[in-house]
Amino acid sequence: MDTAIAIENVVKTFGATRALDGLNVEVSTGEVHGYLGPNGAGKSVTIRTLLGLLRHDSGTVRLLGGDPWFDAVDLHHRIAYVPGDVSLWPNLSGGEIIDYFGRLRGDLDTAKRDDLIERFELDPTKKSSTYSKGNRQKVALVTALSSNAELLLLDEPTAGLDPLMETVFQSAIAEAVAEGRTVFLSSHILAEVEKLCDRVTIIRNGRTVLSGTLDDLRTTTRTSIVAATGRPPDGLADEPGVHSVHTDEAGHVHVQVDNAQLADVMRVLASFEIISLVSQPPTLEELFLAEYDVSTPVRNAQMPAPADPEARL
Amino acid sequence: MSTLTAGDTTSPTQAAPRQARQPEPLARFWTQLRFMARRDRVRGPVWVVSFVGLVAASAASVVGLYSTPEDLQSYATVAQANAAIKALTGPGYGLDAPTQGAVVMNEVSLYTYVAIALMCIFMLVRHTRAEEETDRAELVRAAPVGRYATLAAAITWVFLLSLAISVGNSIVMVAFGLSAGGSLAYGAATLATAWVFIGVAAVTAQVAASARASLSMAGSVLGFFFLVRAVGDMGNGWMTWLSPIGVAQAIRPFADERWWVLPPLVVLGTALVVAGWMLMGRRDLGAGLMSQRPGPAEASESLDSPFALAVRLQRASATGWLAGITIIAFFMGLVADQADAFADNEAIAELFAQSGQGTITETFLATVVLMLALFASGFTVAAVLRLRSEEIAVRAEPILATPVDRRSWLWSHLGVSVIGSIVLMLSGGLMTGLGYYAVTGDPDQLLALTGASATMAVGLIVLATFTAALFGLSARRSIFAWSSVALVLVVGLLAETLSLPQWVRNVSPFEHLPAMPAASFDLVPVVILLIVAVALEAFAVFALRRRDVG
Repeated sequence: MDTAIAIENVVKTFGATRALDGLNVEVSTGEVHGYLGPNGAGKSVTIRTLLGLLRHDSGTVRLLGGDPWFDAVDLHHRIAYVPGDVSLWPNLSGGEIIDYFGRLRGDLDTAKRDDLIERFELDPTKKSSTYSKGNRQKVALVTALSSNAELLLLDEPTAGLDPLMETVFQSAIAEAVAEGRTVFLSSHILAEVEKLCDRVTIIRNGRTVLSGTLDDLRTTTRTSIVAATGRPPDGLADEPGVHSVHTDEAGHVHVQVDNAQLADVMRVLASFEIISLVSQPPTLEELFLAEYDVSTPVRNAQMPAPADPEARL
Repeated sequence: MSTLTAGDTTSPTQAAPRQARQPEPLARFWTQLRFMARRDRVRGPVWVVSFVGLVAASAASVVGLYSTPEDLQSYATVAQANAAIKALTGPGYGLDAPTQGAVVMNEVSLYTYVAIALMCIFMLVRHTRAEEETDRAELVRAAPVGRYATLAAAITWVFLLSLAISVGNSIVMVAFGLSAGGSLAYGAATLATAWVFIGVAAVTAQVAASARASLSMAGSVLGFFFLVRAVGDMGNGWMTWLSPIGVAQAIRPFADERWWVLPPLVVLGTALVVAGWMLMGRRDLGAGLMSQRPGPAEASESLDSPFALAVRLQRASATGWLAGITIIAFFMGLVADQADAFADNEAIAELFAQSGQGTITETFLATVVLMLALFASGFTVAAVLRLRSEEIAVRAEPILATPVDRRSWLWSHLGVSVIGSIVLMLSGGLMTGLGYYAVTGDPDQLLALTGASATMAVGLIVLATFTAALFGLSARRSIFAWSSVALVLVVGLLAETLSLPQWVRNVSPFEHLPAMPAASFDLVPVVILLIVAVALEAFAVFALRRRDVG
């Protein structure tokens, strides 16, 4: 089985709201897949549908080769879940809750559990009503990561964690991947996705807007170039594939170039006697913003470059 | 609390002088008060209307049953004959020369005061500590809201609700033709009791380690005062005066009102409110003065299924219900042999005659068993509705994300409800039998009553599965299961008073079960109701498997 998650054309409505509106997501076995979208895009609805908690209206959803709605119980032996908003029983201790879920899953691994509790610096004897958001998150993470599940469904798992704990989380995910597990990671933290994920899907209003490896995404978009040239680059803006050309006070020219036309544009640029050149692929953040904000120049807008040119030099 | 003032000579270099007060401790009080009224726009009116409605219905039944001086006298004789009856109603103020007002008070006043105390405890903790546990209070306090504004608004809001109930109760009494002075005294006593328990809850909400602990601490105080006055009323008169509830009864509405008893209650309530107010300034938001004890680092072996968790979550409340039903049942058993005395009253004899074919004592015992079942129905429905609060608090979702079938999850709290209801009824029947045995030395009823209450438990199972069926359809709307409790209560207690048509009575499962020990056991209704329960459970599972969860 090469495909861990296959979501095709899925629609899920709540009354008049279309939470998922023809969504397509594909996650291969063994990869870490980043799932991005702004608040309310439908990320949590997707994960709850994958868990068989919500029943979609149309389209097909396959999870580890099964139907998440009808085969929920069987499939749940093979997955572990970290909810976005961790709600615990106030008068149970964190340790009790971790053990309880381990027993429900049927694969409580005490050695792994103790190791994770130590690494996440969680005090398992505290009643969960006294935990902070970050500590509640740790309970959910220890629960999921100490299981032997093939697939981890993580809904914004690091919300509330401090940077040190985020590092612990990232190494734990790396270990999970080394063991051959698949990770589906919904997140807002783009740096984390860039660091961890092989492929990403970006959704908006319940639809997929971008999907692929980070390299794929970058080549379908633009590279930003800052150059100092011997002669003023007259006519550069008229070349095909060139966008938002402007020259700053220092005389550096800033330009966005469609990656398909990169070679041609470089030849033209060279004819203006390049003195120095910095080129940057778009960051995930730029890709992300480009999908949500027409005012950013990565894909299709004709707008001035970012206000801080020094950052590129 | 430190009390630095401008004129204080304390060195100004001393680190961060702790001022006793914020500049505006009550900032945004009115906003908070309006917000509480908005949150309770359904809950508040439901409390007021159902409270006053129940008082009105009880008063109506008393006024209807005891209309002649002879009826009143026979009631008075019985009510004062037995210490156990006094424990359950009060010392019987004014029953030496009984009037309808005095009899109404003997029947309703104790329960009025207990019920309003419970309302004050629930509502005050709901708006204070329970809010803090949801982190909502943090958002509120991050706004320019005074430290004391929420507590002050909660106290005011609960006081206003109590005022509405008290005024309603007074109007009801006047409406039944009772004297205005006595009606006013009854309303005032209700309000004074409310004020005391607003104070109790205002203190426990600061002291206890969690909202739930504040509730049970305040509830224990109420239970303690109930028992103290029971002991006092049964003989040791001065102990009555150690309990605010006993003192509230001692205001004697309709029996030469003693208005001077009122101020001590008001003073006590005010002192408690002030104490709560001062303690509020000494604690952190979300934490009580008593700290949470640490729990075990690992779960015990037995915590391995949704049912085990449900037992764990509900065992404290189930124990409370069990203690309550055990005590009530025992007292009911103690007074059962007095039932013959009531038979002098034609109306009561008639009431008993139509509900069974046994002796008056047996009929009374059958009524006791029904009462126990009606009482336990509160537990039955509340226990199933834990599913609702679990789902709404998003705690169902992670459980259902593990290999737990929806039916097993449904049965976690449904199982606690069904098993708990059976245990409550069995112990209720047994304790009634023991009480009866203690007075009469007659052991025959022991087994009969246990069997009778086990039979009545079938009705509770129907209620439990009905609640589960509603939950299967929709978590939020399953709250309407409480209307089924209201219905069985009205049918069980007021069917005659309200002359309900037969088809309405037939809706209550308890109407179909044999009224043992007055009637003999009948297998047919038991089997039919069990089939109904199985069908409701199947429907609940069917519906739950088809809907979205979370």
